Parts: sequence; structure tokens; C-alpha cells
Amino acid sequence: MKLEMKVDYNPGETGEFLRVDEDKCTGCGRCAAFCARDVWIKQGSVYRPLNSKRCVECGACWNVCDYDAVILGEPRGGTGVRFAYG
Amino acid sequence: MADYDVIVVGAGCAGPAAAKKAAELGMKTLLLEKAAVPGQKNVSGTCLNTAALVDPDLHYLMDGPVEREIREMRTYHIASDRTTAIHEIPAQGILLLSVRRDEFDAWHAEQARMAGATVQLATAVVDILESGGRLRGVITDKGEEHRAGVVIDAGGVNSIVGRRAGLIDRRSGTNMILYVTVNVHLGEEIVDHRFGDCIEYYLSEGIQHKTWPWIFPKREVVTLGTGGYLDDRLISRDFPSVNTYMQNFLDLPVVQKKLEGGRIVAWGLHLEFDEAPDQRVKDGLILTGEAGGFVMPFLGEGMPEAFFTGIYAAQAAAEAIGSGDTTRERLEEKYNELIESNLFMQAFRYLAAANKESILSMEDGEIVSMMQNVVMGGGFITNVLHNRWISGAREENLQPVLEALEFMDFIQPYREIGGDFEQIYRERKKR
Repeated sequence: MKLEMKVDYNPGETGEFLRVDEDKCTGCGRCAAFCARDVWIKQGSVYRPLNSKRCVECGACWNVCDYDAVILGEPRGGTGVRFAYG
Repeated sequence: MADYDVIVVGAGCAGPAAAKKAAELGMKTLLLEKAAVPGQKNVSGTCLNTAALVDPDLHYLMDGPVEREIREMRTYHIASDRTTAIHEIPAQGILLLSVRRDEFDAWHAEQARMAGATVQLATAVVDILESGGRLRGVITDKGEEHRAGVVIDAGGVNSIVGRRAGLIDRRSGTNMILYVTVNVHLGEEIVDHRFGDCIEYYLSEGIQHKTWPWIFPKREVVTLGTGGYLDDRLISRDFPSVNTYMQNFLDLPVVQKKLEGGRIVAWGLHLEFDEAPDQRVKDGLILTGEAGGFVMPFLGEGMPEAFFTGIYAAQAAAEAIGSGDTTRERLEEKYNELIESNLFMQAFRYLAAANKESILSMEDGEIVSMMQNVVMGGGFITNVLHNRWISGAREENLQPVLEALEFMDFIQPYREIGGDFEQIYRERKKR
């Protein structure tokens, strides 16, 4: 069976719940290395969450960033990723 | 002036348990949940351990929607030359209740509402109200400010309340596990036929980084999970993503056969933090469930700890509010007392810590062999007793041996618990 990343999202605008503090980002790329969804893309010397629409809100990027450059908030209530079974 | 006595943030496992208990204790209670349907933000926590449900505090959870009653456990040990399956059929009856979280958590939140709590869904908490070093309330994404005597944080592993309050920091390495999960739809008849009431574990190299991949049957779907410690060895040239572990898991011939004809209907990622944070309580705030580090990924346990700590936080909050003293000291005293008197939590914490100790000292290949010994040798309890005994003998130190003896006495009530559950469960189902 070929692994498919099948993810459901609620309709509605999430707001900018995932951001980078560009003054703190060193471009080390740990956020991107641990992200299974390719959310983080390098632009110049920093990483930006350009594909945040693909984010499943696991928070790995925030946890592994040694420079506290990842700003992880919450999508607006009722929006963002949706799971069923747990 | 506070709007509520207690505000509970998050309607996973701990939140509804806390809100229900707080309301029952006469507290004016608000339960806030970011998802439109409670449980829809949960990626892990899939089976309820009946060894915990026999606790009278948790009996009501037996009335919730259940997908399957799990009575058996199979472990596949996969080596290059052969695969061995060990099938355990305990005499005690139901081991686990397999649930789907969107249904179970929604039911649970409804129990909190029926007990008198106000439940507000599709509402994300985005910040806290704090002054003089104490929690005063929360701010939602709608810009509303809610004030309370005590805030109970049940917001999960990356909870924003705990982070803003300075109690939850970034974590990686060997106290954080990143899981990838997949749901495969097979249809009820095929799940009955291939899995029935049996959960499965798989021991093999290349499918995990110091964890224990599983397949849990639901009614029409099976859920698969694997992953590993969020350290620098999780991701490498051979394993560029946690998905590689999952793909290797799916590619095991025995798994391919089990999932033949199925289709993937969902994929998810989840972090679990398995060590206690330094501080779980501050003035006006208690951390519960995963926010409080109450999860043991190593043993696949988290839901019971969340239920218990939610209930205990509500009890501590109600007592503190009643006394007019909601300081950290007051809240912590009651909260810790209740946690320390819980047999299930103490036993499982000890088991998890002692087994993790042996796992961390090994390479992934050795872990597979150790886990095989665990399964063959009677499980995690026996592994602890064995390890303590051997280390005592090696170091010529009687202390670990005495500790093993003490633990053996302590764990006896847990080992004998099974039959009681079935009886209580059947009686509740009749009503």
C-alpha cells in the first residue's frame, strides 16, 4: 500500500497561525527537516511557512527550533485540520 | 469579578472530565474547545484501558460510544528469515475499549454540558489573562475575555495556555515522540475477519525509532501508528521523513496481507511528551492531560491519565475556590495528593520509566530483541522485575532487588482487575 497523506480540512480561513520571527531564524532548516508536510521553504537566508495550508498542526517545527524563531498559534476556532479516529 | 469559577480549555480527554466534575461540584464552569466537534483535533489516543476504567471515578465513560471491545493482543516479531506471531488471549475479558475520538469526545463534552457546564465549541483560546503572576482567565479568537477563579488547561501537548503561562517549553530528544498515524478503511466484515477483537503490535527494524508500531481495529477502519523520538536520529538520509517508517511498516509482507483491498482514508501527525514538566500548577492554573505531561507513549497510555488528572484538577480547583485560596500551593497540595493515591497512574508511571530506561540504552536492532523478550517473558511488568533483579545482582546491591519485590506487591491489584471490569461494563450496558 502506497502511503498517501490524506488530510481533511475544515472550510474557513485559519488566519496566520504559523509564522517565523525572521530576526531569530538562522536558516538552519530543522523546522523543514522535521516537517512531514513540506510547510517550510527556504527563501534567501530564512525559512518561511509558505505552505501553511498543508500544516496538520503537530507543532514539531516549534519544538525543534533551537532559536525560538517559530511562532505557533492556533487556527481560528472551527478551522484547520480535522481528524476522526484519533 | 470572575465570570466563572472554573474555565477548562480543550475538550479532548481531560477537558470534559474536568468540566463535568467541576460542574457537579457546584462550580460555574466554562468548557472551551477549538474544534467544531470535540475530538476532531485529536490524532492519538485510540483505546481506553479497562484497568483504569474500573476506578469508580471513570465508570461513566463505559456509557460512551465504543467501536470495538478488545480482548486479545498479537505481537509480530519480524526478522529477515521468519516472522513469529505471539497471540495473547487473557482470561480476564475486555482489555481495551476501542473508540473513535470525534464521537467519543463529543459524547464526553455533552456529559459535561448535561452536568451544568457551559460548552463553547469552535472557539480557540489564543492568549491568557495574567496579573501579579497569577492566571485570571483567557482570551479567545473572537476577542472575548473570560475570567475565572481557576483555569484548567487541557489543551494538549502544545497547549497555548501552558506556553503563555511559562509552564510549557519547547521539547525534543528522548522526551518527545513524533507519531505518524494512518487510517485504513477495510469495511466491517473484513476488519471482523482479519482483526476481530485483537490489537496488533509489530517489532521490526526500519519501521520505528525506539517505539512500538501498532494496528488497532475500529468498526470499519483500522488505525496504524509508528514514529519515534524527536531527536537527530529520527530523520536521516535513509529516513528523510517519519513517513518512511510508516511506508516500511505498510510494506511488511504480513501487513500488506492484512490491509489488502483497503484504502487510506486519513493520515495524521502527533507529538507526545512523556516526561513531567517541572511545574504543573501556578496561581490560578492547573495543567492536565498531555498539557501536563500525563502521557506514556512507551506504554501507549494517555487517555486514562488525562481523565484522572482532569477530574483531580476539578476537585483541587473546587476545594481551593471554596476556601478562597487558589494559590499554587493550595491547588498543588490537593492535586498531587489525588494523583499520588491513584494506583493505576503510579503503577504505569513506574512501568514506563523503568522500561524506557532499558530502551534508551539500546540500538534499534537490540530493542526489537528486547521487546520480543518482553512479549515472551510476560510483559512490561516482568521486564521491570527482571531488570531490577539483574542489576541488583550485577552491582551486588540489594536495593534494586528490594524495589522489585515492593513493586511486585504493589502491582498485584492491577493484575487481578480484569474480571471486575466486564461485570461493571455489562451491568451499565443493561441499564
